[in-house]
Amino acid sequence: MLPEVNVMAMSAVARDTIFALRRQIAKIEGTLPERLQAPAPGAPGAIPGKVRSGFPSGIAENQISNNAGGTDMTLVRRGLAVASADAFLHTGIERLDTALGGGLPKAALSEIHGLETRDAGAVAGFALSLVSLILKEKQGLPVLWVGTAEIFHEAGLPYAKGLHALFGIEPEQLLFSETPKLLDALWIAEEAARMTAFAAVILEIRGSPQRLDLTATRRLHARAQSANRPVLLLRQAGAADPTAAPVRLVVSAAPSASRETVAGPLAGSIGRPAFTVDIGKSRTALPGQFTLEWNPDEHAFAERTENSVAVVPTSQRGADPAPASGAVLAFPAVASSASGDQPSRQQHPAHRSPRRAG
Amino acid sequence: MISHRDNNTQRIAALDERAEALKLKRGMGIADARAMHPSIDVVEADAEADRRLLEGLADWCDRYTPLVAIDGEDGLFLDVTGCTHLFGGERAMQDEILTRFFQQGFDVRAGLASTPGAAWAAARFHGDCIVAGGEEEALLSPLPLSALRIAPETRTGLESVGLRTAGAVMAAPRAPLARRFGATLLLRLDQALGRLDEAVSPRLPVAPLSVERHLAEPIVLTDDIERLVSRLAIALKTDLERRGEGARTLALLLFRVDGAVSRIAVGTSRPMREPRLIQRLFHERLTALEQTIDAGFGFDLVRLSVLSVAAFDLAQGDLTGEVADDDADIALFADRVRARLGEAAVLKPLIVESHLPERAVKTVPFAEAPQRRAPAAGRAVAPRTAPPMTVYPPERPVRLFRSPEPIEVPATEIPEGPPMNFRWRRALYRVARAEGPERIAAEWWRQLPGEEEAPTRDYYRIEDSEGRRYWLYRQGLYGSAPRAAPPRWFMHGVFA
Repeated sequence: MLPEVNVMAMSAVARDTIFALRRQIAKIEGTLPERLQAPAPGAPGAIPGKVRSGFPSGIAENQISNNAGGTDMTLVRRGLAVASADAFLHTGIERLDTALGGGLPKAALSEIHGLETRDAGAVAGFALSLVSLILKEKQGLPVLWVGTAEIFHEAGLPYAKGLHALFGIEPEQLLFSETPKLLDALWIAEEAARMTAFAAVILEIRGSPQRLDLTATRRLHARAQSANRPVLLLRQAGAADPTAAPVRLVVSAAPSASRETVAGPLAGSIGRPAFTVDIGKSRTALPGQFTLEWNPDEHAFAERTENSVAVVPTSQRGADPAPASGAVLAFPAVASSASGDQPSRQQHPAHRSPRRAG
Repeated sequence: MISHRDNNTQRIAALDERAEALKLKRGMGIADARAMHPSIDVVEADAEADRRLLEGLADWCDRYTPLVAIDGEDGLFLDVTGCTHLFGGERAMQDEILTRFFQQGFDVRAGLASTPGAAWAAARFHGDCIVAGGEEEALLSPLPLSALRIAPETRTGLESVGLRTAGAVMAAPRAPLARRFGATLLLRLDQALGRLDEAVSPRLPVAPLSVERHLAEPIVLTDDIERLVSRLAIALKTDLERRGEGARTLALLLFRVDGAVSRIAVGTSRPMREPRLIQRLFHERLTALEQTIDAGFGFDLVRLSVLSVAAFDLAQGDLTGEVADDDADIALFADRVRARLGEAAVLKPLIVESHLPERAVKTVPFAEAPQRRAPAAGRAVAPRTAPPMTVYPPERPVRLFRSPEPIEVPATEIPEGPPMNFRWRRALYRVARAEGPERIAAEWWRQLPGEEEAPTRDYYRIEDSEGRRYWLYRQGLYGSAPRAAPPRWFMHGVFA
């Protein structure tokens, strides 16, 4: 994760350090991307020239000679930094696209994390909405969902009927693969990632297994790049391990808005799926948290700027620090009836009492 | 010496030459034998192991003919019709079989005749002989009645009337024999003499096509096996093309020098004849089996058989000669995964008409799922326009648990209402909002007559205080019967 840096405002020494660090990170990740401040089109001194196009997805390399700072400096830009706009999947949310540096890379491995196994529904829903966006361009292509037996047992199998209604993915487009061993799941995902016959490959894994290291993600990423197809790695209850994936998003469920009716929002009803998306890692290293709502009719995202639900309930445990993204237990013990942190009856927010709709 | 228990007595079932030299006989009581020679070594018979050994030998005999049948506890039928010329004639073939068995340490008797009955008698009562067609009668005549494969009661009956050899029975008038001893006797007689056809039912289905290669130098390495598979597959391709078929199931048989046979089968989800693809499938299978296949001293015969075939549809390629077929790629991918990880490694969901959520979607192995009609390449598929909905289908979750997980519900606001909170997997969840119920009744047409009616389920969509959405249901109703068990709650799925 890189800090957001304004290149122009920094001293030369600090800039060099940052560049060196970035180069090192890129080397570890197996790609050589250098995300710098994109020069304004037609800026003096910027001579974009295509050197080599080793990437099939229109991802090119540029060599830019920069004279602006008075010192001669040559920056080599590679990878997604100068990729064409076509190389990204636009989520439809401008802020999110900007924060991701143009959108989610199409020909790459992307990690989607859920902090706890109980978030599996939200993580799967978010991944499937991305797949639904991908399928808008690649209609009819099948989607492969690879998972270990453990995760399918813990979080349930994707339910074809629900997927069709929400995301427009036909049941005959879906293929599942379930293996007891992680190694086999990785093998299947790798074999599938190099095929162009799939619209997307989803690999779902629970926890932080040792096998899923930098090498494994690098292999997946390389295959996704050469096949020009996205691979989504869903990690339930996993730590933020080193990964070769250029993007890591942390997804959790957000309270949904009420259903819209002719007579206004229907109180107490549960509307469209909503997700809270945190950017854990991206090329631009811009931080950001977004609350997205999925529109199942138009198959598009919408951002919720202010909370349309009355209130998000306060934490049960008072001022709770954000949980460290690491050793998260599957089911942390909920503070039982410790009287101290239970709000009294009068303090109960009105929305907390269950209501029935319809 | 091997003993077995017969009529509550330990008797000698089999014995070796040294025991025979001591004047011991089969069928003698073990107690008597011990009294004669206290130092004999007796081992209990193991019918299971004998059977396994016989099946192993039958597997090995597959190298001579695909039609191998097991006969009783200690015999094998080999239908060598049309196979003898491959081994240099009948005599040479029989000699080779006997030599090879002898080298493996078996004492084998063989008989070769044009009918199974005559061959059986020749093997058991003559040993190492070849009966030419038409000489069955001459062979059988001097033999005792047990050479006719008849039940012991019939045999005693025949002996009691003075018919002690097969020849005597043949000479006797047929009608009284049939009346007194049943039709089986004459059937066996006619079968042995070739007047009636007798089919040997092979223990394995005969492959429609197979190609094999005998190797002078046994091979051990997996790479060599794979190379051989691709050579054999090339030979197979012309045969498949001539028949206009493709292989659906293929088996690779590896005959080890010392008699063990490995059988490796792969299935394909669409007919296949391309040698390269066949080799890739076997590559995955061999990789998965690397630990279990023991090459030992090497394999000296490799056979590739097509066990089942299906009509092969030729695809028209474009001018560049390339057929862009995504479905074929996926089928190959699924086959490779299946070859490596088993039948259920790639699954396809299938929508079934049912109200019960867990029954409404069935997952079937890819090979069994109906094939999707691929849209023609280059032509954009018109987006499917759904008919305008008048009744919105009830919402279904994104993930469904294999079996609904029981949850604890301490209280509901009103008896038939949604829970206020619940405990699932030891964690407490506070319900913020709820929608429902959606009542789903059990499928009465499935329940057996007299069976108690399954309770109905009331499904609720629940959102907890942190925004996660769940699908819960209550099984049964409150107060439906005075002494009925209280309704139970289950977690069935999660929404996005």
